[in-house]
Amino acid sequence: MTTLFINDEEVTVSAGTSILEACREHGADVPYFCYHPELSVAANCRMCLVEVEGWNKPAASCCTPVGEGMKVTTHSESLAKDREMMMEYLLINHPLDCPVCDQGGSCKLQDYTVEHGAKHGRYSEVKRAVVDHDLGPFVSTCMTRCIHCTRCVRFADEVAGTGDMGVLNRADHMRIEGIVEDALESELSGNLADVCPVGALLDKPSHDVARPWEMTRHKSTCTQCPQGCDIVIESRGDKVIRIKPDKDGVEPWICDRGRYVHDAFRADQRIVAPAVREKSGLVNVSWDEAIQASVDVLKDKRVGIIFSPDWSVEGLASIRLLHDSVFKDAKVAFDLHRRDMREFAFEEGFSMSSAQIVAADQVVILGSDLRQRLPILMQGLRKRGNEGKPVTRIGAMNYRTNSDLSADALIRPREWVAVIARAMQQLKDLGKTAAGMDAWLEKVEERHEAGKLLADALLADSCALLVGEEIRSHSDASALIHGLDLMMRASGHAEAGADGRNLIPEGMNAQLLSAVFGDIRVSAGDLLDAASDGELDALVLIGSDPMGDGLFSMQAKRAMGKVPLVQIGAIAGQTSEFANVMLPAAAYSEVEGTFINMEGRIRMAEHPLRSLGEERPLWKVMMRLVQAFGEEIPVVNLTELRARIESFLPEVSGVWDDDVTDDECLLVARNRDANSMPNAIEPAMSLDVVSRYSMYREGMWVRASSYLVEAGDIHALDDLLVHPNTLKDAGLSAGECKVRTTSGDYDYHIGVREDVAEGVLFISKRGVAGDLSCEVMASLEGGQ
Amino acid sequence: MRFIKHALKTWLLWELVKGLALTMRYFFKKSITVEYPEERTPLSPRFRGLHALRRYESGEERCIACKLCEVICPALAIVIESEERDDGSRRTTRYDIDMTKCIYCGLCQEACPVDAIVETQHFEYASETREALYYTKDMLLEVGEQYEAQIAANIKADAPYR
Repeated sequence: MTTLFINDEEVTVSAGTSILEACREHGADVPYFCYHPELSVAANCRMCLVEVEGWNKPAASCCTPVGEGMKVTTHSESLAKDREMMMEYLLINHPLDCPVCDQGGSCKLQDYTVEHGAKHGRYSEVKRAVVDHDLGPFVSTCMTRCIHCTRCVRFADEVAGTGDMGVLNRADHMRIEGIVEDALESELSGNLADVCPVGALLDKPSHDVARPWEMTRHKSTCTQCPQGCDIVIESRGDKVIRIKPDKDGVEPWICDRGRYVHDAFRADQRIVAPAVREKSGLVNVSWDEAIQASVDVLKDKRVGIIFSPDWSVEGLASIRLLHDSVFKDAKVAFDLHRRDMREFAFEEGFSMSSAQIVAADQVVILGSDLRQRLPILMQGLRKRGNEGKPVTRIGAMNYRTNSDLSADALIRPREWVAVIARAMQQLKDLGKTAAGMDAWLEKVEERHEAGKLLADALLADSCALLVGEEIRSHSDASALIHGLDLMMRASGHAEAGADGRNLIPEGMNAQLLSAVFGDIRVSAGDLLDAASDGELDALVLIGSDPMGDGLFSMQAKRAMGKVPLVQIGAIAGQTSEFANVMLPAAAYSEVEGTFINMEGRIRMAEHPLRSLGEERPLWKVMMRLVQAFGEEIPVVNLTELRARIESFLPEVSGVWDDDVTDDECLLVARNRDANSMPNAIEPAMSLDVVSRYSMYREGMWVRASSYLVEAGDIHALDDLLVHPNTLKDAGLSAGECKVRTTSGDYDYHIGVREDVAEGVLFISKRGVAGDLSCEVMASLEGGQ
Repeated sequence: MRFIKHALKTWLLWELVKGLALTMRYFFKKSITVEYPEERTPLSPRFRGLHALRRYESGEERCIACKLCEVICPALAIVIESEERDDGSRRTTRYDIDMTKCIYCGLCQEACPVDAIVETQHFEYASETREALYYTKDMLLEVGEQYEAQIAANIKADAPYR
């Protein structure tokens, strides 16, 4: 710790802190442009000058570390003069176009000009102009306004890892260039507009639409991925203009998916009024008529319910209440990626917080495109990679991570069992065992060398295992996860406090879902098959789109139209063509509710936007249905509902009592008696099918957002990809090929990429090649 | 004595005579009122009457949708919506002034960085309905076109004092 004096006030900060940070911590106002708490120090704006007693010239406080007994002055006459001169320099080439600049009103340059600048400009020579670049659908540029703080360049290098912003030339010819083909490559590119202190980089979708002072800010939680970032929804009237990260939140950045999904909030696909299908199509009716129509469709029927995990905790709990009151025998599914419904040794959700994962000695990513799945966590891992800490990855595709991986292995899904066996064998040979390990090992004969990477990582003092969708959607997932669990226990990574078992969940609220629906959930694929086989009489979809998302789109297409469908939700997907009744439920931005993210952090959304039409919070819709079925309503208000939730999930008790949100995380459900053993897989066909989760395509909200669709088209890969050797072995060449599966033959365009593991058929566009996602294996044959 | 003076004034209607004398004095003096609407008083270049949106000589509208008038308006009479036009410039898609709310303070004109919104010397726009006092962008531009010469002259006349 170092003690110094800031404006004669004694303060103590940790050694190595810069003077600027010390001033910020202790409320002394120092102006700055190029400094950013999350980025490295560039010290090129020279605005943060302070005086240090005994030094003969002012010091740039952002790059000067504090010293013992230092006497710092942040305001003096000579500093005011220095700052005035710095402002004059910065404003030489800056255009006087504040009235048309979107940054106007929230611009550092504008504020500091008023605060520190001269009253009159003295510059009367020619100002320079700089050519703008097209940086894609999210960021618009006006480079003449740039003051060369290089925050964007450091962001692209250090945070996004893409390095697609750069500086060219020097002095008066200096300019910031985007080195891009079609668009910025980063999935965090929207943050560039936030990072820019002036109006050079701006948010494109909201360009010229609104002014900062017109905006109302609604704190909320993003439900677009399990990360559940804290967001601030900025709206002008009832129209959402943009979404920004919450400055008081855990993470300083949000991804493009969560940021630009707001276009869908007013999309045509929104369900804004209750509707009933008549001969002419869906007709808007009153709530009473629609509820009655739902009762007619569902009364005394065998019902299947598929819902989305992204509803608020209150909404999800009310689904269970509906189930218990009205549809006691109904089948329920919510995970559109899980094939194996046997108990998992550790259920979906994280045992570690993101910070713990980033700080762990070893991180192993097993079968996940983490950059698409959890962009913000991947950003943390990238930061860790830059510090030289190891990140190991094993999976079917060499997913782009924008950072160096310390170890990387490509394997086919059918080899997972051998990989785990190899790692387990190594642990066993080193004398690290757990009960049940021998029995598991005996079942597997093959060993795969990639297992060594896993075992080596497990031998570290702390190890975070990130188990991804390739394992979660594996047909033998329960056995694989049991194997991983055994190893984690054997190597001491399963104790409370150092538990490294993290299973990436389908969506939000994983902890609540396994606690509340653990006993009644079935596979979505089986449920849909039951509907097409006549074992179910009606389907209820609550915010879920099995035709567009997940692995079971083929089953969904078969089932739709076979049975009557009641669709409840905020937005409609392809299934809406088949809906007999549609009931509008308020979107995540429009409810007062609670959300649990993958780490088990509880987040409240307390300032909802106003609904567009007749939407009601999901729990009210559910209770209305219970009432319409003639049952007693279990809860009549939010307080009662929350009391009910506390009985399902005792850990959440107390979170609604006071205003302070507890930062403690909920724990993930454990199934200590899960003991699935690996099954010998019959390699019926030569290729394993792996389908890609794309952040620009997965989810109804995302597909309804024109900005994200545009970005998805820019970042798209070929529909289907294979390794060149796979094609060579089959004696084929890239182009039109016939894909043979157990359910039939399909013609597709096959692309070639060495990033795909040999023997894997990689579906990169689920929307196009959606029907194949449900397959586990396939083989290739020549074209027509 | 006082009694006699008072009686005389009372019986000779002295106060009436005095009052009529004043009336007659003004009757023969030059009149200072004007016969509105045939006659009109001169107006200051700073007169704050009906609002107008102006155009440049090229025909391009001046307003750049900075919304400073909207935010400074103490009566919240102005509503603006904006977008990026196809040529990349920032333009309004809606510019409404509710004249029933407006208090004619002139702050919008003060705030405008491009002299787009101005208050003209035109004040005779009373209407029978409130709706007619809700001025849209097209109406305001039309007012601007009609009075452009006058507006330009007024701004020029006032320029030395700004």
